[in-house]
Amino acid sequence: MTNAPLVAFAGISKTYGNGTLALDDVSFSIAGGVIHAICGENGAGKSTLMKILFGLEQPSSGAVLLDGKAVAITSPRVAAGQGIGMVHQHFSLVPSLSVTENIVLGQEPRRGAFIDRAAARQRVVDLAQRYNLLVDPDAVVRTLSVAAQQKVEILKALSRDVRVLILDEPTAVLTPPETDELFERLRDLRAAGLTILFISHKLREVRALASHVTVLRAGRLVGDAPLDAIEDDAIARLVMGQAERPKLKRGGRVSGAATVTLADVSLAARDAADRLHDLDLAIHAGEILGVAGVDGSGQRGLVSVLTGRIQPSAGAIAYDGHSIAGLGTAALRQRGLAHLPADRFHDGGSKRMSLVENAIAGAHRLAAFSSGPFLKRRAMEARTVQMIERYNVRAPGPKAPLAALSGGNAQKLIAAREFATEPRFLIADQPTRGIDVAAAAFLHERLSELAEKGCAVLLITADLDELLALSDRIVVLYAGRIVARMENGPDLTPERLGPSMLGLESAA
Amino acid sequence: MSDIDFVGLLSFVPAILRVTTPILLAALGVLISDRAGVLNIGVEGMMLSGAFVGVVASAATGSAAAGLIGAIIVGGLLGAVLAGAVHILKADLILSGIALNIAAAAGTTLLLFLMTGDKGMSGSLASQVLPKVTIPVIADIPLLGTLLSGHHILTYVAFLAVPGVGIFLTRTPLGLRLRAVGESPESAAIAGINVVRVQVMALIVSGAFVGTGGAFLSMGYVSWFSQDMSAGRGFIALAAEVMGHGSASGTMFASLLLGAAEAIAVALQGRGLPSELMQTVPYIVPVIALVVYARRRQRLLARA
Repeated sequence: MTNAPLVAFAGISKTYGNGTLALDDVSFSIAGGVIHAICGENGAGKSTLMKILFGLEQPSSGAVLLDGKAVAITSPRVAAGQGIGMVHQHFSLVPSLSVTENIVLGQEPRRGAFIDRAAARQRVVDLAQRYNLLVDPDAVVRTLSVAAQQKVEILKALSRDVRVLILDEPTAVLTPPETDELFERLRDLRAAGLTILFISHKLREVRALASHVTVLRAGRLVGDAPLDAIEDDAIARLVMGQAERPKLKRGGRVSGAATVTLADVSLAARDAADRLHDLDLAIHAGEILGVAGVDGSGQRGLVSVLTGRIQPSAGAIAYDGHSIAGLGTAALRQRGLAHLPADRFHDGGSKRMSLVENAIAGAHRLAAFSSGPFLKRRAMEARTVQMIERYNVRAPGPKAPLAALSGGNAQKLIAAREFATEPRFLIADQPTRGIDVAAAAFLHERLSELAEKGCAVLLITADLDELLALSDRIVVLYAGRIVARMENGPDLTPERLGPSMLGLESAA
Repeated sequence: MSDIDFVGLLSFVPAILRVTTPILLAALGVLISDRAGVLNIGVEGMMLSGAFVGVVASAATGSAAAGLIGAIIVGGLLGAVLAGAVHILKADLILSGIALNIAAAAGTTLLLFLMTGDKGMSGSLASQVLPKVTIPVIADIPLLGTLLSGHHILTYVAFLAVPGVGIFLTRTPLGLRLRAVGESPESAAIAGINVVRVQVMALIVSGAFVGTGGAFLSMGYVSWFSQDMSAGRGFIALAAEVMGHGSASGTMFASLLLGAAEAIAVALQGRGLPSELMQTVPYIVPVIALVVYARRRQRLLARA
């Protein structure tokens, strides 16, 4: 044993081509055999640092030391050779390939010129058993749940004989019980001698799992301490800087007339995860109705029928008592619909178009922004600049493409666009997924404000803290059915929602 | 059913296989490129170049085999050129492919004129043709003989390549990597696969297949090269690959469908139907097939 730490970052800086300074002289070390957490908001530089360790990015200056020796990690292949594996936030799996194919990809066992499929499958079965991460080796990855895909991703990393395993926000996509299971497996791995780098912005999880925490803010190292030597509040202050974590608690608010009603709505979709069965639901003016449920419990189908993208196979949906059968999204938007989609870069906006074009999309036919066949570019730009300022969107400029923005800033711009329509009915689908605490708090306030102005808000979210902070009432979806309805209040906790989210009890 | 004249129908089989051969060879080439995520739009130009080089090389050497090898090499080289344009010059894949098609049409005409003084046909070159293959014993069995024996050697190559390409894609390490690269290049790179190398290789192999299809045109289908003799077959091969849903066998069935359409059109021309109308059949069938395919896909997507 040498005294050198397993991994050390020495003065790492990273400047991107567009001039963004993502990391600024970051130095710290990671001891072997521990779970080491790296905390920070989105854009703090956590992911960039991990990409450098995994060989996906190169530092502009500074060095990575492994066992005290500087190593140039120029590609993921080099990282794998050094025993560094990574579980990516957006998984690195090929959807149409099987679990086995994904795990052996790049190091296939051979028999002659062919893949030795029996040996490949056996390798996966052995690995899954050894680490107690049970998955069907023959399943096609696309058909697996997110939690199962994550297991595959972890197995894939483990199959490459790792000693350092990086997990980038692994719990963002998991339900509470799935998170608990993941944590148990991670503790097993640590007990087996692995070093785990756990990236998170959830303090509760860091506290539950890790023994050491490093905090990054705006690319700088602002804290590095053993967890038993630092209080949660102190970590929170380091993560957030000066700003305090805002708390919002709604619940049981008196609401107005029903803005949107669903009566016996069913949807027969090809994908079971999109099907709906006999939904009865009313969303009232001035309330935030929260929808809880494991990913794939019918949320997508619900959004599709409410936004007119798909007609329900049975039942009736009405806006203000008038049926919307046969109406498309444009017609519904004229009736006061606004929609903050779950995938902000795919459904929410166009990555390659400018912020101006994204911010005006939908309103481009209004007299304010067009005359005859032409767009009023100056008016569009002026409005976009207003939105950028009012919503505090950090952007290189209004003409930059949406792709230049971080997820949180893109979401703020899209929210600015949707909220500017003064909607009567808003669907907010995972409004703050993967975005930092400050931006999330800002969006929470805007959502609350909209409800206060009489908008009916449907909040679909996997983040139970968010759900409980914002909702007046909560319904739980499971397998396309509403299995529970409850008033929100101080006594409602994530633990009480868990069983119905998993279909264990039905209180509807 | 008993009214159907089986022997009469069977006489169509050699014609259908003959028309299908170049389409199938090119479509298999397109398939390999498409699964690697670099759809070979230059297929028409590569085919034309293969046809041209086959004639020139076989005339120069007096060897049909040399002609075929020349066609394969030029196809592979053009694949490498396309890969270089995309990966070294960072040009757009589609535009590069279109440029290759235009350049091949003009280039083969220019070279033909320089070599023979004729812009239309290579009649003055003493080019060779590749042989037909008669399978002993089977050739003498009625029906089966007509079905299996007596076809052009490249027809056998094309159909035997179907399981070959299928097994390559699904059962070999390189095939698995190629599919991973085509579907999700970032994931493949993270798994330690050299994405650029796989795509370059795929385009070279794709070009070799397409060049072989071109050789069939000038050294089997007919025995000369003529200006623009690929006549859209490369694009029909693109359609066949799309209709084939990314599998080798699907590509074969789509190629057979399009080949049969063309063979039937040719046969009907001899029966007094307006030839101009019949000549449109090989182009209308893929349009209809692609519309049906696109609508089905849309429905699937809408339900998803």
